[in-house]
Amino acid sequence: MTWIAMTRIAMNRQANIALRLLPVVATLLLAAGCGKSEPPVFHLNMIAINQAQIPVEQQKELANILEALYGTPNEPFVLADTGLDLAKLKIAAGPVRSDQFGREGGLYRRQCGHCHGTTGDGRGPTALLLNPYPRDYRQGKFKFKSTERAAKPTTIDLDRVIRHGIPGTAMPAFGLLPESQIAALTEYVKYLSLRGETELRLINAIADLSEGEKLAATREGLVDEIVKPLAETWTNASESIINPEPQPAGEAAASVAAGRELYYGAKANCVKCHGPGELGDGQTNDYDDWTKPLVEMAKSIASEREGLDTNTDLDSTQRREIQARLALSSLILETDSLPPRNAIPRNLRQGIYRGGRAPVDLYRRIYAGINGAPMPGVGPATPGATGTLTNDEIWNLVDYVRSLPYELHTPAKTTAAPVHASIEQNRF
Amino acid sequence: MGKFWSLIFLLVPVLGVAAFVVAPWYDHWLPRDISEHGHTIDHLFYFILWLTGAVFVATEVVMFWFMWRYDSQGKANPVKYMHGSHTLEIVWTILPAATLLFIAIYQMNAWANAKIISPAAGPDGILGTADDMRPMLEVTARQFEWRLRYPGLKAEGVLGDSDDIHVVNDLHLPVNEEILLDLKSADVLHSFFLPNVRVKQDAVPGMKIPVWFRCTETGSYDLVCAELCGWGHYKMKGRLTVESREDFDKWLAQKYRDQEATQDPQLVGKGDGE
Amino acid sequence: MSTLSVGSHAHDDAHGGGHAHAGSFLSTYVFSKDHKVIGIQFLFSTLLWFLVGGLLALGIRWQLAYPWSDMPVIGKMLFANEGGQISPEFYTILFTMHASVMIFFVIIPILAGAFGNFLIPLMIGADDMAFPTLNMLSYWFMWPAFIAFTMSFFVAGGAAKGGWTSYPPLSLTDMSGQTLWLIGLTFVGVSSMMGSINYMTTIIQMRAPGMTMFRLPMTIWAMFITAILQAFALPVLTAAGFMQLLDRTAGTGFFIPAGWTANNAAAASGGGQPLLWQHLFWFYSHPAVYIMILPAMGMVSDIIACFSRKPLFGYKPMVYSIAGIAGLGFIVWGHHMFVSGMNPWLGMTFMVSTMMIALPSAIKTFNWLGTIWGGNIRFTTAMLFALSFVSMFIIGGLSGIFMAATPVDIFIHDTYFIVAHFHYVLFSGTAMGVFGAIYFWFPKMFGRMMNEPAGKVHFLLTFLFLNGTFFTMHILGVVGFPRRLADPYHYPTFHHLRPLNVFMTWCAIGMVATQVIFATNFIWSIFFGPKAGRNPWHANGLEWAAPSPPGHGNFDVQPVVYRGPYEYGSPEVDTDYYPQTQPPPAHTEGAPAPVPAAAH
Repeated sequence: MTWIAMTRIAMNRQANIALRLLPVVATLLLAAGCGKSEPPVFHLNMIAINQAQIPVEQQKELANILEALYGTPNEPFVLADTGLDLAKLKIAAGPVRSDQFGREGGLYRRQCGHCHGTTGDGRGPTALLLNPYPRDYRQGKFKFKSTERAAKPTTIDLDRVIRHGIPGTAMPAFGLLPESQIAALTEYVKYLSLRGETELRLINAIADLSEGEKLAATREGLVDEIVKPLAETWTNASESIINPEPQPAGEAAASVAAGRELYYGAKANCVKCHGPGELGDGQTNDYDDWTKPLVEMAKSIASEREGLDTNTDLDSTQRREIQARLALSSLILETDSLPPRNAIPRNLRQGIYRGGRAPVDLYRRIYAGINGAPMPGVGPATPGATGTLTNDEIWNLVDYVRSLPYELHTPAKTTAAPVHASIEQNRF
Repeated sequence: MGKFWSLIFLLVPVLGVAAFVVAPWYDHWLPRDISEHGHTIDHLFYFILWLTGAVFVATEVVMFWFMWRYDSQGKANPVKYMHGSHTLEIVWTILPAATLLFIAIYQMNAWANAKIISPAAGPDGILGTADDMRPMLEVTARQFEWRLRYPGLKAEGVLGDSDDIHVVNDLHLPVNEEILLDLKSADVLHSFFLPNVRVKQDAVPGMKIPVWFRCTETGSYDLVCAELCGWGHYKMKGRLTVESREDFDKWLAQKYRDQEATQDPQLVGKGDGE
Repeated sequence: MSTLSVGSHAHDDAHGGGHAHAGSFLSTYVFSKDHKVIGIQFLFSTLLWFLVGGLLALGIRWQLAYPWSDMPVIGKMLFANEGGQISPEFYTILFTMHASVMIFFVIIPILAGAFGNFLIPLMIGADDMAFPTLNMLSYWFMWPAFIAFTMSFFVAGGAAKGGWTSYPPLSLTDMSGQTLWLIGLTFVGVSSMMGSINYMTTIIQMRAPGMTMFRLPMTIWAMFITAILQAFALPVLTAAGFMQLLDRTAGTGFFIPAGWTANNAAAASGGGQPLLWQHLFWFYSHPAVYIMILPAMGMVSDIIACFSRKPLFGYKPMVYSIAGIAGLGFIVWGHHMFVSGMNPWLGMTFMVSTMMIALPSAIKTFNWLGTIWGGNIRFTTAMLFALSFVSMFIIGGLSGIFMAATPVDIFIHDTYFIVAHFHYVLFSGTAMGVFGAIYFWFPKMFGRMMNEPAGKVHFLLTFLFLNGTFFTMHILGVVGFPRRLADPYHYPTFHHLRPLNVFMTWCAIGMVATQVIFATNFIWSIFFGPKAGRNPWHANGLEWAAPSPPGHGNFDVQPVVYRGPYEYGSPEVDTDYYPQTQPPPAHTEGAPAPVPAAAH
């Protein structure tokens, strides 16, 4: 019998059985993969909740209030009192999509969410890989703006950051996006920030409640007490714009020399952090305002644990309770935050200016410092007051800082060459 | 069944050619070429396309024909019992070898013009003399943006002083001028790819690599990163704007003013920041 | 090595291999030194990784068709916070691990480890490999690599994400996933080296009497030359991998210039060159691509000759072509680096050598066509896959000419034109050849036949879907569509290409779904397939003289070889095939008498 005939006989008998198995296997495989993901939700600020020791039922209440006030990542909502444009928010929010006319939606999730997180907490999936970490909007603090230190950024400030990025960080320059998209994203950042700060204030309010007391029963109460004042800080931001007085006329070299004196002098004392070689190595132990709470929390957990070991007065139930609480805190710290990093002062010789390189930008950094960072301001603390340095002195420092990347040798300083010097090599 | 299978294999040259014929109709083809040397590259592409296309069709059709003609159809037909043909081996060794060598040598000029003979040496052809061409700008690729540095307006064409104009992602160039730029990287490998100019050059940290070309048309085109540089590789979008020399100078002057601003444009009525 | 004694193993015919000695389950099926068991271990492992690699590819395809949408399975599992939307670095993990798994855990081990191991002793008439213990180790050394790659998905930062080419400095910035990747690669390299030493020695030293080098089947020639390629090229990769490991962990600076920094990390000591990695890496990885196709070419030659019922056309030119491909394969590596910043004069030299390497491939293609010409073609599943290898290899080979042309490569480098090219040679070529080989040698491996109609359905659907997926990539490449972009539609130039990508994704999904038919057929047939005789295909090779499956020691009697492997349609005999071990008809003078079997 030829092998062909043999095969044919075998085929008929076995083919049926084998092919009957097929749908079973296929169905099993398909079942494993089917099912859409749940819509994303805003996450509660578990660090703050844990530190304020908010019980679970009130956490639920908090979540409900926030949802009523601000909606969800797919369906945003804002009260008119916030001053935010809901139409823009709707374009920015939700899943990535485009309609039949090619208009794009879900802009935040397309451009920003994987770093800044769905909730704007700076902990998207990519955040772990970045140095520095992406901004956590929830404290309502922003570093690079045109306003007084404690004030909010203006809309144009946020627009600038999105458009030009932040040099020296992973924040890209989105200037090639259409204007309308940048406007929608700016609005959404404000929205997330407002929501985050509202949450923090609500957490404090809940923490202040005495036993059995509830938060203001009416929505109007909460809105008046918390949302409206916060919204006002945003709408009033442009009133706090730092508008420098003109730079005095004079020799550039003289201004630079004066700036150098101020840098090393006791008044401004830039050298303390930025270092004798302007390399940013003066002091590197400090933390920014987003990291300090985490470091404090870690320290307090550690010291409480130590105290627990030495404390002989507690009985086993109390001990267990405290251990459980500390374990929970520890877990939340681990899962709800990124590994803390020090705030490193800027290396001024690199010519990289995160907040912009124009003289007016540098003026503002020096005048108001950087909100949220250890960089102090040397200008007047409030308009009309007297600052540590005068307007002219600040301009001297600006000129000095701008000259640093091009200064190849500084006598009696460290010898590290500025990175700006190009490293040329022959081709391999 | 053999005929059926032969026809399946015939689909290969038929649909293969069809794909390449139909694609240009749907704008799925080479992007618009706006460069001077681009047409050389495109011409070489088409030359190879026709050549390989002909070989493709010939071999695949021959294969189909043999499958169709020599299908056993379940019978034990006699075969042409032979172990090869010395003549055929020689023919189909020499012919392809000559063709391939020809293609290689034919291209050498184009490659030399694109990557070896730089205009930097100037009209006298000697590097290091007074008529050397200075780079029009320096492009530093960085995770995940294109940092462009033009010489400032004070010192004539000198790069590397405090006067330089820094721009991000927004590459402007004058039309109909020889462009020479220096390509660097701030961190990892990137690649400077201008599809419409047929230019691609990897940016290597530690190296400064000259790139040269000439644009012949104005307009707005893409600048793409073409070497994996991290999670944001897709985000390294730049825009090339080719414009007249006057428009280019105007744009550059505006950028310089923005960069030297001692007052806030938003407060003096202008809408554009740095 | 002496051969088997007659008698005690005559009943091996009907059983699975390796029970001749009263060994434990462990020593018989797990830590076996029998080349057939080891070959099947490789086969099962690589087929499982094939599934993993294919699923990773579907992740890539999904993102390209529906960017930032809710990704099936992965979205729910890993990106619940983002509504199932993957993150950009996850995309980089997808394409890095897809390629790494396919290259190092599928193609290379299935060709050398599975088929090389199973077939070499059988086809040359030996009872096992020269170094059975080393052979066993070569399989088990794959397991640390399997574990390292799997672990890398679960460490902080995720698996390696610098591309399978892992160019520094990018690969130096990654977290532990990359270190695990390098460790995995080192183990694969050592495993391959062990295999290559074994194969070279076995083929040179253990051929049956009468088996001269020019009577070897093409499969063996291909395996032999591939083993030589492995031996010369692998040490370079291993060294380079080790250097990168040191750069990552010990602060050396082989691949980074002085003062280098990224991501605001501290500056490195440096003193090295990123391009050095590229040279070292491609010095191995270019021969690697030939390692990934030559064995398939050899197997395809055997299958085509068998089912054309006609001798292979141009046996010696075919052998010389394989040697030519291998030799030239060592001097073309720079074609991966034309725009890398290396000295552009090298663009000239590598262009010439790369153009020339198309020549032996062309010669082989013509010889395959010459083989089917004038034959009596049997369109079995194995034959269909083998023929598709030829047809698809023509496409893959011709597309290579565009890349060899350096000025054209300026445009198509790092675009989907390249992706199309290598998927054609590796999947539409090698993988199709591998499928053909599985269908062809399955009866010998397991003593049963696979189901032919199911096989043909598998072939037809795979063939159609793969062309839909990969041929269209050429078109994308012509537009300049870049590789490795998580969201190419950011760019106006590529915005209109999404519909084509959607089509390609559904073809890819169809292609992966089709493999369910193959998996079902394969697994079912191992247990319930109709029993196969020694030589169901009426082929000539020595392996068909052994029982199906062969017992420990392979042959009942010491095979003696009288002729080459391609005497199909010979006028000397009545049948249309003429096995290598069949003595010539009685009236022929001077034929050597069968050698009596020696004691084991």
